Amino acid sequence: MDSEVGTGPLTEGGGPIAEGGGARTRRSFLRWLGGLTIVSTAAMILTPIVGFLIPTSGSRAAGGGKILVGTTAEIPAGAGKVVAMGSKPAIVVSTDQGVNAFSAICTHLGCVVNWNDMIGAIHCPCHDGRFNPTTGAVMSGPPPAPLAPITVSVEGDQIFLTEA
Amino acid sequence: MAANPPVETGERPSGWLDQRTRLGPVIRASLHVRIPMSARTYYFGGIALFLFGIQVVTGTLLALYYKPTPEAAYESVQFITSDVSFGWLIRSMHHWAANLMVLFVGLHLVRVFMQAAYKYPRELTWVLGCLLLLVTLGFGFTGYLLPWDQRAYWATVVGTEIAGGVPIVGETLLLLLRGGPDVTGDTMSRFFGIHVLVLPLMLAGLLAAHLLLVHQLGLANPRRPEPRVATPESRQERLRPFFPHYLIDELVAWYVILAILVVLASLFPVGLEGPANPLETPAHTKPEWYYLGVFELLKLVPIKVVGIMIPVVGIGLLVVWPFLDRSPEVLIRRRKVVVGGATLVIIALLALTVLGFVS
Repeated sequence: MDSEVGTGPLTEGGGPIAEGGGARTRRSFLRWLGGLTIVSTAAMILTPIVGFLIPTSGSRAAGGGKILVGTTAEIPAGAGKVVAMGSKPAIVVSTDQGVNAFSAICTHLGCVVNWNDMIGAIHCPCHDGRFNPTTGAVMSGPPPAPLAPITVSVEGDQIFLTEA
Repeated sequence: MAANPPVETGERPSGWLDQRTRLGPVIRASLHVRIPMSARTYYFGGIALFLFGIQVVTGTLLALYYKPTPEAAYESVQFITSDVSFGWLIRSMHHWAANLMVLFVGLHLVRVFMQAAYKYPRELTWVLGCLLLLVTLGFGFTGYLLPWDQRAYWATVVGTEIAGGVPIVGETLLLLLRGGPDVTGDTMSRFFGIHVLVLPLMLAGLLAAHLLLVHQLGLANPRRPEPRVATPESRQERLRPFFPHYLIDELVAWYVILAILVVLASLFPVGLEGPANPLETPAHTKPEWYYLGVFELLKLVPIKVVGIMIPVVGIGLLVVWPFLDRSPEVLIRRRKVVVGGATLVIIALLALTVLGFVS
């Protein structure tokens, strides 16, 4: 090791300078270099760790296609049912105006909503949020947004949902 | 490497082990400290430490049978509870010790706050304590999912959704926690790894630093502020030995807690709901009691992000509180605003929790 390291202020060229001259000393340069080493080492270690922790994309089920979810006999007017649409839950509701379908994931905290006969509305069991069975709009409770609609078609007595 | 020669301290190593470790002075320095006669800890912190010990033992035993996959987790927990000898007891003790640990860490925090023991020179001890509280809550949150029953699954869906609602970082946080957009086997792998490796290591490190500072700084005197320069009055403080006097009291408290734990585990063994079903949220889904206040708050506050940010800001304030409250006063009667405010916060939290229970 250089025995002069840290013995006093030096100019950038290595020569001594006056105290308080403001020029970079060898000690401050080494300190800066040490800091840079620590930061770059931390970045070198953290980059692969953070990259490793971020989930790979493509976990969501691929969309597209019609899915048979039931029959009109299973979901008569005035009733509703939660069905699986790939890996996601959807709710199919039959009203006098026709059959509607929405994402069954509550927009408040992600609980799965269900059909409630007593109130004649879509209901979230977590915080008592209620949604309109025809439009999916929030009727009461804390949900901040309506349920996302899903395209529904009835062919004969069969009910199909179309994935976006 | 050449061994260090024995230090000439005038004190000879006393026993076989001491001669081979030379740890005698370290142990004596750790044990033979004196604490103010007026210090009242109510043993809350020590009990939390004891409960952590229980969790390490019972958690290690559970990990020998538990299978952390969505297909096998539920059945392995059923197997532990029904078939393994004392399995029900070990699992129930793990459950109840977790609950009591949260309770006693909370009580310890309230005690330290009310006695103003977070003030100079113990600010960093307080910050480390707050981090320990967060790690303890993290243990509860990650451990809750592992049985993979309906309650576990939906508590995790809601909990991670709340984390996802934090402005700016929420979406990334949700992905990092769940290991994907939904709560799946990827989430379980993460939670298991965090629960059995990451958090125990974090807690051990933070706890070591916390205890080291408690040892170095000593217990706070709840009657007068710590003088920045020793005064004749402070030197005349009446003290009592930590060992064996305080430690024996502490051990008695640990035995009492152990008895309570066994009674709770025996009379109220932890159950298991139906297996997790991602298509059906059970009616009256609720999280564990220590998250119930936040859960209820989110029901009452109409704007979701506000409901989420209230506890986040609250915890942030709690951590940095010693740097905001600069007054040296320690007596409750001279800290009416701070103590009154804290009491209101505690009452509000209790009220929300009770409301969450009954609603």
